[in-house]
Amino acid sequence: MASVARRERPLGREDERELVDLARQGDSAAAEALLERHELLLFRTCRHLLPAGEDVEAAVQETMLRALKNLGRFSGEASFGGWLMAIAVNYCRDRLRRHRLVPFLSLEVRDEDEASPLAVLPSPEPNPERVAMARQAMRCLRREVARLPRRQHEVFALRFFVGLELGGIADALAVDVGTVKTHLHRAVKRVRRAVEEARP
Amino acid sequence: MNIRHLTDDELDELLLGADAPAGVSEHLASCVVCRRRRDTFLAAVGEARGADADAATRARVRQRALAAWGAAAPRHWVRWLGAAAALVVLGLLPLLRSELAPQPKINADRVLVEVDKILARDPLDEFAARDVVEAVVPAGQEGAERSTS
Repeated sequence: MASVARRERPLGREDERELVDLARQGDSAAAEALLERHELLLFRTCRHLLPAGEDVEAAVQETMLRALKNLGRFSGEASFGGWLMAIAVNYCRDRLRRHRLVPFLSLEVRDEDEASPLAVLPSPEPNPERVAMARQAMRCLRREVARLPRRQHEVFALRFFVGLELGGIADALAVDVGTVKTHLHRAVKRVRRAVEEARP
Repeated sequence: MNIRHLTDDELDELLLGADAPAGVSEHLASCVVCRRRRDTFLAAVGEARGADADAATRARVRQRALAAWGAAAPRHWVRWLGAAAALVVLGLLPLLRSELAPQPKINADRVLVEVDKILARDPLDEFAARDVVEAVVPAGQEGAERSTS
């Protein structure tokens, strides 16, 4: 492969394996291309699985560094993205254990939440009442998600906050898709009920 | 129009991303009530998700990780250099061994003393001395020489 800096087409699994091989030999351009491809999901994962107050940037950096140092252990059976996410999830679990914290999400509303646009609201013209209701629903959702058992919380966050498909969640948590569906179904039922009950 | 609304289980299946059961999508397209239930949940999820890290932050973190990796990982050429150095050392090893082997120290005085002792003990020494004398001074001339001297 002549250059890994810019590609016109999306990377396939074979391309990714090629990049992994180059990165193993110390090719920093290949390593950067790999990280760049998955970093957005890494940020989301660390943001939503770390306990409140933890440094998300430090977590992402450490995850990336662990992945690069352990490229030799990547077997290629799973996708590189799934392997990377598994490292991130393990890092977040370690931080939780060290802090001896059970809940994952902060219950208070952050400034960025107040400022974020209500992009997914069904109405094209959100009126103040709708905005207030959406915020109330969001607070309820946060509170309920924070109360979920650890595994249910992980699958919920990876599905709805990170945006992974069921197979990707299975790779990241090293479980089968059926297990993911079971936990996700329970989590969705509980959270949806809490959100609906919060509505006037 | 189907007036039966989606059950909780059907809605949950839809939300978790599994394949929607037959008729669910059609019902959702025509039912405001069920659509609102779905959208309320998704809106709350979207709010809770928050904004993504911006590109500059992502690039900064990525570069830090790469720099830390570069500092820790041996480069490709370093490995080759190490292998070449190992080969050179292996090639020179026999030579180094012979050079470094301890050489016996010789004490010249002691050797001379030993030689003297051996010579002193030699039973042929007496005959050898006489032969040498006779060879230099024949037996008949020994007295003449004395008288002339």
